[in-house]
Amino acid sequence: MPEAEKKKVIPLEAIPDVGGHTVNVGGRDYLVLNDAMFTFYQRSMGEFSPFFLALRDEKKILGSRCTHCGQVRVPPFMTRCPDCNFAPTELVEVGQVGRMLSTPPITYFANSLFQKQVPFGRGRVLLEGADTALSVNVYTSKGILVPGLVKKDTEVKVVFRDSRLGEISDIFVVPASELTPEQVAKPGLQESEVNWEAAEEPALTSAGPDEANRFQELYGQLQTLAAEMNQTERARKDIADWRRQIQVKTTGGQLVLEINDGHLEVREGIIPSPDLVMVCQDLDVLVRGLAYKGSLTQAIMFRQLWISKNAEFTTIFKLERMARSLARSKKK
Amino acid sequence: MSKRVGIVGAAVTPFKAKWYEKTYYELAQMATADALQDAGLTIDQVDGVFYGIYNDIFQRAAIPEHPLQGIIGLQNKFGIRISNGGATGAYTMSAAHAYLAAGRFKIALVLGVEKATDVFDFQSMSATPETIKTIGWSGDSFFEQKLGWTAADSYAEVVLAYMDDHPGDLKPEVTAQISSLLSQQVRTNEFAQRRYDQVTPEEVMNSRTVVYPFKELEICVYSEGAAALLMAEEETARAISRLTGKPVIWVTGVGESNEHSFAGKNQKLMSRIMSDHIAAHQAYAMAGIKDPLHAIDVVEAHDAFVHQLGITMAEMGFVPLGRANDLIEEGIMTPGGEVLVNPCGGLIYSGHAVGASNVMSAWSARRELISRGLRRALIHGTGSTIAQYGVAMVLEHD
Repeated sequence: MPEAEKKKVIPLEAIPDVGGHTVNVGGRDYLVLNDAMFTFYQRSMGEFSPFFLALRDEKKILGSRCTHCGQVRVPPFMTRCPDCNFAPTELVEVGQVGRMLSTPPITYFANSLFQKQVPFGRGRVLLEGADTALSVNVYTSKGILVPGLVKKDTEVKVVFRDSRLGEISDIFVVPASELTPEQVAKPGLQESEVNWEAAEEPALTSAGPDEANRFQELYGQLQTLAAEMNQTERARKDIADWRRQIQVKTTGGQLVLEINDGHLEVREGIIPSPDLVMVCQDLDVLVRGLAYKGSLTQAIMFRQLWISKNAEFTTIFKLERMARSLARSKKK
Repeated sequence: MSKRVGIVGAAVTPFKAKWYEKTYYELAQMATADALQDAGLTIDQVDGVFYGIYNDIFQRAAIPEHPLQGIIGLQNKFGIRISNGGATGAYTMSAAHAYLAAGRFKIALVLGVEKATDVFDFQSMSATPETIKTIGWSGDSFFEQKLGWTAADSYAEVVLAYMDDHPGDLKPEVTAQISSLLSQQVRTNEFAQRRYDQVTPEEVMNSRTVVYPFKELEICVYSEGAAALLMAEEETARAISRLTGKPVIWVTGVGESNEHSFAGKNQKLMSRIMSDHIAAHQAYAMAGIKDPLHAIDVVEAHDAFVHQLGITMAEMGFVPLGRANDLIEEGIMTPGGEVLVNPCGGLIYSGHAVGASNVMSAWSARRELISRGLRRALIHGTGSTIAQYGVAMVLEHD
């Protein structure tokens, strides 16, 4: 593999510099050190090797069938059946279409290794020929995954990554209804064969004087909120060490939200290359989110707010945390 | 014939989002010293210690309990560490009970401690994503970790499967009201992380979705802290009680169950938390309880997520399956209702210092039984992937 394509098992951007700082609590300094607990492996996949090799090299999914009771377990996570006094099992190939065992959860706030992949679903699929369910990531090829799109018994198709390592994440599922009958029937369908609808910026309706007036009114509210946040220590802390320029587009006009290490600024204007673009017909969606009278995540889930990069969900969460911090400080 | 076992002392440290001022060494020592004081004992009277510490990575050490043995003054005595995911604290109490009931010891220390937010994510410059990642190492390492497994998405699988079977139960309005109620109850817990964070049902409804269907204010918050209990066999417990004037809180029922970690035929039934059902009913059988709703006055349940609390209450027999809404709509857990649920504010408002959490629940249940003069309490712990582990313990006032 060429040097440029090599990936590290720990993403370089996740690794802190050697160092530390002090935190003052109650008039005393406490030392806080940057640190890590790391261990590397050359880990054998042992008895699971045929399963993972089949994923990687043959684009096949294997299960284990008990030679006594006939139960087919997918993945093949045991070589003897504990229900049959540990009778041996044998490997069998199962189908690549199945139904969801239950409605899959959707993760909007992930662990630090998966922050750039949200939102994503993870559920369990009962593949044709299997008695037990395989844990899989659930995606849609039609934009952002929202509740209701994939439910219990939804028919899904396994899709193989173009680049596979022999890991469970070499595969994922999409609703079969998003594919052609030929794609659903095709064994070893790859991600590059699926039409991934590009994230297209939604069009805004043209503004009349009413919308422009409303924009001005809400823009004023947004500025007030930002000023209050900047005076609230807890809210400032929520965006400490974070810097983003956000272009906000609405029917009534455009504005810039700038997060700059503990300071939030709202101003009119257009910036050439923002870190993130937000689009909402009505600026009220943003105002309500920051005033803690609504939720920006929910607005994205219900398509009232569009963002240009899923990876920027982290920024959305920071803004929502600020909203909650401000609301809490107002209560006190 | 096994011996009767009771709780004779208990203590918790404050649960905080971050203890800059203390490591887990000092937190463990604080809880131990305070529990001894509560029981009127000195450490040389204690025969051994049962450590509840969930995750090595949080403490940044394998066998994190070893430095504690000397720090708490139990050098050259028995010490064993229990680690069972979220149910670590409950399983630790269960283990201590078994040794005492078997006559191995007269007095045992249960010591739960966790420092869950020393970990830090340098990409988002915040602790929470790294805390979730650290717990994420608890998922199946061959088949799930690389899919972004988290405790929240794992429990959400169970909750959504339950809701597939019982559409209309666990309504958003109901889960929001439960969370709001817990936020009121936490006011009396001076050690809670969110003692002054009272929220309205509307605020819960408006809080962001973290993992569908869970909203931010419906999820426990990770915490740092310690909790300790002193447990003793009957004769010793009665002698201690005579000296302190405090009643013994007897452990009259214990149950534990670990489900399958994979779902499907003959394995985990995703729409149920059978571990809670089996553990609770085992504990009821041991305690001679037939009708938990009327026999039990206080429940201190492990509420990792409000929705799971609703299912757990159904599995433990307080409402029928599919009728968790009744907890609020029929007033079962509202003020003046049939059962007091999580008077400490639950882990959602007290904080979840994992190894210490269920021990803190026992501390709270004991306090409620004594201060309110109530008869019986139920302690519950849940943990591992898809609510695989369940532990229940019945406590009774002397």
